[in-house]
Amino acid sequence: LEIAMSVLEYEGSNFLRQRLILSTLSGKPVKIKKIRSSDENPGLHEFEANLLSLLDRLTNGTKIDISVTGTTLLYRPGILIGGTLDHDCNLERSIGYYLEVIICLAPFCKQAVSCTLTGITNDHADPTVDFLKGTNLPLMKLFGVGDDLELKINKRGASPGGGGEIYFHCPRVNKLRTLNFTEPGKVKNIRGVAYATRVSPQMPNRLVTSARGVLNGFIPDIYINTDHLKGAQSGKSPGFGIYLEARSTKDVILSAECNSLPKSENASVDPEELGKRAACALLEEIHSGGCVGSSSQYLAALFMALGEQDVGKVLFGPLTPYTIEFLRHIRDFLQVTFKLEAKTYSGDQMGQNIGSSKVLLTCVGVGFSNMSKTIR
Amino acid sequence: MDTDAPAKAHRARRAGRKAEKRQKNSEDADTKQRNPKAFAIQSTNKLNRAFRRAQDVKARKHHIPVVDRTPQEPPPIVVAIVGPPKVGKTTLLNGILKNYTRQKVSEIKGPVTLVSGKHRRLTLIECNNDMTSMIDIAKVADLILLMIDASFGFEMETFEFLNICQVHGFPKVMGILTHLDSFKQQKTLKKTKKALKHRFWTELYQGAKLFYLSGMVFGEYQRTEVRNLCRFISVMKFRPLTWRSTHSYVFADRMEDITDPETLRVEPTCNRNISIYGYVRGTHLKPSTAVHIPGAGDYRLHNISFLHDPCPLPDRGDKKQRRSLDVHERVMYAPMSGVGGIVYDKDAVYIDVDGSNNTAEQQNVPETILKSSIIDSSKTIDSKMEESKVSLFTGDEPLSTEQAERFPDNDGEGREDSGIDDSDDEDSDEDEDSDEDKVEGSGLNWKIDLREKAAKAFIERQSSSVNLQRLVYGAVQEVEEEESGEEGEEKLRGGLFKVTSNEDETDKKRKRNNRECSRDLSKMIRDWIDDHEARESIADCFVTGNWGEEEDAKTLLDQDDEIYGDFEDLETGDVVKGNDAKTTNQNEDEKEDSKKDRESRMREKRMERKRKLKEAFDRNYDGESTLFDDVKRELNEQARLNREEFENMDDTTRVQYEGFRPGMYVRLELRGIPAEMIQQFDPHYPLIVGGVSSTEENMGFLRTRVKRHRWYKRILKTRDPLIVSIGWRRYQTLPMYYMEDHNLRQRMLKYTPEHMHCWALFYGPITPQGTGFLAVQSISGATPDFRISATGTVLESDCSTQLVKKLKLVGYPYKIYKNTCFIKGMFNSPLEVAKFEGASIRSVSGIRGHVKKAVTNGGKEQGPPGAFRAMFEDKLLMSDVVFCRTWYPVQVPKMYIVVSNLMINKKDSWQAMKTVGQLRFEQNLKVPVNEDSLYKPIVRPEGRQFSSLVIPRALQKELPFKSKPKYLRGKNQTKHDKLMKKAVVREPKDRQIAALMNALRTMDKNKKQTKKLERKKQMAEHKKLLEKQVVKDQWRHKEAKKKIYKALAKSEKKKSKVSEE
Repeated sequence: LEIAMSVLEYEGSNFLRQRLILSTLSGKPVKIKKIRSSDENPGLHEFEANLLSLLDRLTNGTKIDISVTGTTLLYRPGILIGGTLDHDCNLERSIGYYLEVIICLAPFCKQAVSCTLTGITNDHADPTVDFLKGTNLPLMKLFGVGDDLELKINKRGASPGGGGEIYFHCPRVNKLRTLNFTEPGKVKNIRGVAYATRVSPQMPNRLVTSARGVLNGFIPDIYINTDHLKGAQSGKSPGFGIYLEARSTKDVILSAECNSLPKSENASVDPEELGKRAACALLEEIHSGGCVGSSSQYLAALFMALGEQDVGKVLFGPLTPYTIEFLRHIRDFLQVTFKLEAKTYSGDQMGQNIGSSKVLLTCVGVGFSNMSKTIR
Repeated sequence: MDTDAPAKAHRARRAGRKAEKRQKNSEDADTKQRNPKAFAIQSTNKLNRAFRRAQDVKARKHHIPVVDRTPQEPPPIVVAIVGPPKVGKTTLLNGILKNYTRQKVSEIKGPVTLVSGKHRRLTLIECNNDMTSMIDIAKVADLILLMIDASFGFEMETFEFLNICQVHGFPKVMGILTHLDSFKQQKTLKKTKKALKHRFWTELYQGAKLFYLSGMVFGEYQRTEVRNLCRFISVMKFRPLTWRSTHSYVFADRMEDITDPETLRVEPTCNRNISIYGYVRGTHLKPSTAVHIPGAGDYRLHNISFLHDPCPLPDRGDKKQRRSLDVHERVMYAPMSGVGGIVYDKDAVYIDVDGSNNTAEQQNVPETILKSSIIDSSKTIDSKMEESKVSLFTGDEPLSTEQAERFPDNDGEGREDSGIDDSDDEDSDEDEDSDEDKVEGSGLNWKIDLREKAAKAFIERQSSSVNLQRLVYGAVQEVEEEESGEEGEEKLRGGLFKVTSNEDETDKKRKRNNRECSRDLSKMIRDWIDDHEARESIADCFVTGNWGEEEDAKTLLDQDDEIYGDFEDLETGDVVKGNDAKTTNQNEDEKEDSKKDRESRMREKRMERKRKLKEAFDRNYDGESTLFDDVKRELNEQARLNREEFENMDDTTRVQYEGFRPGMYVRLELRGIPAEMIQQFDPHYPLIVGGVSSTEENMGFLRTRVKRHRWYKRILKTRDPLIVSIGWRRYQTLPMYYMEDHNLRQRMLKYTPEHMHCWALFYGPITPQGTGFLAVQSISGATPDFRISATGTVLESDCSTQLVKKLKLVGYPYKIYKNTCFIKGMFNSPLEVAKFEGASIRSVSGIRGHVKKAVTNGGKEQGPPGAFRAMFEDKLLMSDVVFCRTWYPVQVPKMYIVVSNLMINKKDSWQAMKTVGQLRFEQNLKVPVNEDSLYKPIVRPEGRQFSSLVIPRALQKELPFKSKPKYLRGKNQTKHDKLMKKAVVREPKDRQIAALMNALRTMDKNKKQTKKLERKKQMAEHKKLLEKQVVKDQWRHKEAKKKIYKALAKSEKKKSKVSEE
């Protein structure tokens, strides 16, 4: 084309995924400079290079230029093709780090994405695959991403060894549905899963007991599965953790999780302590409230912005720094500005205690349609 | 007058015609009752069928429901007048203008916008007969008045235009027949009308509206007819078209060159900065989107701002409900033709003063003079002062006078900038400020519960929507902000002061390379086990907590009781009373409330009860709602939300959320436009600024389904340049045609099929699937033939292609073992062979085999490089030829040339890249012929001599009779020969008989011979005779012809003489 494509420029390695996701979806090239330029270990790290290679396989015609020092990255997106792919995720980050990117892009591919990812399924930092399966997938369904959305955990692998494997399938969509979701409802039950790999089979039970101990005071309907794995299915490292989700009467899912630290960091965690922490995190999440959990806010915001040219409204809890940055990026790439309204419930409005104040996000979608899809 | 007084009852007539009529009607109504059998269901089948039919008819009326996204004040409807030359387009346009505005415009250039009614505006444009104009107009027009000269009939342009429309989404088309006064006879007029109507219908749809303009009066169409036409236009309904409802566009009604005059003086051909004005149409136009100007190319919006509507709809605040428009409401706006007088710009109002534009010849846009913005302003200076804003720092939000006055008070807010992280900001001083007044009373115990306070402060900070907005997006961005945000921050913000944000910068730097994680790891988690206050704060988040009044089960039950509570059990006769929960309360209230109050309350209650009962009844008995109804209701709800969400916002803020909504009058600023576009600007050519999404800026290969147009006279050749009109764009590209094999292999075609669809691949900007396109070979020069060569739709966009063509590799065996065979000549090197290992090959005789391995130097068998060993299912002959069928990928050439016809003087003669055929024709070159490709007579080698099959005698003995060789008579052997082998000695009598017979036979033979000769002679004579006759006949015929032509020529001469005289 005659006009020089405007290249968006950013600095620093933080929020790399956000920029890559939005660049791929909007088709705008992005240049990221000063990636850890003053760091001891400058430039892109292994896990980021791994992410770029994953994106390269997910798309056709993508051009990735990395400078010699690795501190500058120029990313020119191609067309999302999807299809079947196997990917070995880097062990520095868990599968969740990569899967979050795939989840955002998968509905807009030429072919339905069915990928097998191997690596760390559960670690203490990134969202685990349980979290993505339990929270983000139902959220995608609300936006009209088909019924055969599937995430299967074939093997679990804790950090640092990994060895986990998941299968993710996502149908393609043409357009996303506009979501009007402002009624969070009330928490009706709590479900979850406690798992352990390469440790005593008692661990999950201990996790469950302690978590229930905290939550029983709020609601009696609690059911937490235990998942103890051994042999080939249990990955390469010992670990355990618990994922809890609170479901509301209006099908809002708020969730929290807590995972053991890797063995090398020799900070042995008591499973009881971990269970309690997870329960507290869930209560904190309920306190934040809204219709979308704090760690999935970015996904809801993205899909709202990509929706049809109608007004969509979703009630969020307090915005996380990651979401705030994502909203800024959305404005840069998609030119969608959200209307943010604080919804305060001053103490006992209508005689109710429903946690912190909420944020009502309103936006007009860009009418994004799947450009790479084939018609016959 | 007392309205409550009961009206006098109506007294029906007892006698007279009315009474009789009523009597009769009532009798008729009775027939159904008197003869019920006649009206009973006769046949269930019939009823079944009738019901089905009714349902079918009902379902057929359904369209897929779409969200109604039309704005409150929609943009003017684009009405294009299209037709061949000399058909009366300008006359009609003048007529319509006169009808609406009662004004006469001397010369119309470009679009004319006018108010046509209380809720509708029109933009009228006349379309010239250039192919490019027709294409552009078809893309933006909502309604097309297609003019047809009845005295001539349909012309090629009309059909071309209809085909263009069809591809680009078919706007509403209304045909108009003119020149009807040229028919002298009423009968021929009627017949022509009917014939044209039916032809028109086959082109569009059965029953398409065709309007007749019967004749001219004083060079104008009849007023009543034009008025009727305008009525048709004003009630016309429009369906949203897919492309236009997903893309924003501006149909420019004004263009200005805003290049710095000094630069212009130094370099007259420098790239220009221009501003384009027009209404936003389609969907919301976002600032800094990429746009395509058909005829000019792709640009990026440099700036966009909304202006005062120059042609506003009548104010709706007016309470007077008038049927027609006032005179001052009949506004017309056509800056390109200099109509409308006042021209609004971003910061000034220009008034066109007649007579002052002496130099207007060179500039097509009428020169305007800045008089004063005061002339048009309706407000006083004071009110203006109030509205005016002062900005202290560049790039800052301007302050109103009111704000400026109380400036010292709100420094706290002023300082609050776009903090990135909230968790770090929690204990910033500003929060303490906000808490101060509360803490004051309690002395120094402000340190208590610091964390909690910080959290509270954070919530409070978030509580204000404005703050939240600023927290995320920074200071409210001016839409017209010129520099990007980052640059602006580093600049000096005012003349004197420099905003130091060192702290912020270092913080940013630290954050820049943080570990990215979607989970907020820094979030503090409270102790939910022991902290009762915290536990209390979320108690009602659970179903076990308190519910809101509308959803609380107990209240709902109570309400239900009030409605359904009282009932009588018919079996037992018990009367159950609803429990009156509020009786005690009511008793207390009764003392205070007056009786009237209570009554009204009761009435309200009763009404409520009735309403609920009715709702329940409707729910149960009013037919279940279908899926269609549900979807429709949902979409209506969405439409309502779309309308209401930003309704009460002022436009400046609204624009930030929505973009510039359709219907707004905007000024677009573009930079770097070639000077030719300004110099060669012609207002008769439509100027369209079409927005494209960011994905559509990228280039790729488009896979399309295409069909040669059935009226185009040739078939299309692969790799021949073609001008494609797709989306907003029209460009020249090199399409490659292909067919899909049964296994989805894309196999290249050299030419498009004659009457079938095929597929085409070409290079161009990525376009949404399902977009229609049309192709023309060239847009310059006039041909009498149909110009649209192909139409099609986009199926897919991709960055690579899978196009292949067939390639047959040929090899010859040079050494044959049993089934193994060595083949040479197929490949040139062992490497090539290695690539084809395992490939299936075939001999001409149909023996199948595989490529095994290349022949290497060290191996047993030697051979030329590229020779290989192959394995066949049978033994090959040395004379066999071996084939390998392969598919060779074909590259689609990456050529993309925008048809930039707006840049040249003669806009209808843009010279496109020529086809090879054209070039050869022009330079008189022959098509190069490859000698090998010519067909030559097949020369077969001499027939082989095969020795006969010899079966050993011993074997012959063993064979069954069937297989034994049989000694049969040879082919050349006659019976006689066979007989001759044997000596025959006759008896004397027999010898006599034989001699006699021999003599007789000889005589007979001789006789036959002579007879045959005679006959031959006779035949020859007869033939001669016949030939003579034929010659004679021919001569006679010739003579007769001569006579006739002579006579004809004579009569014609006479005629011409008469006419000359």
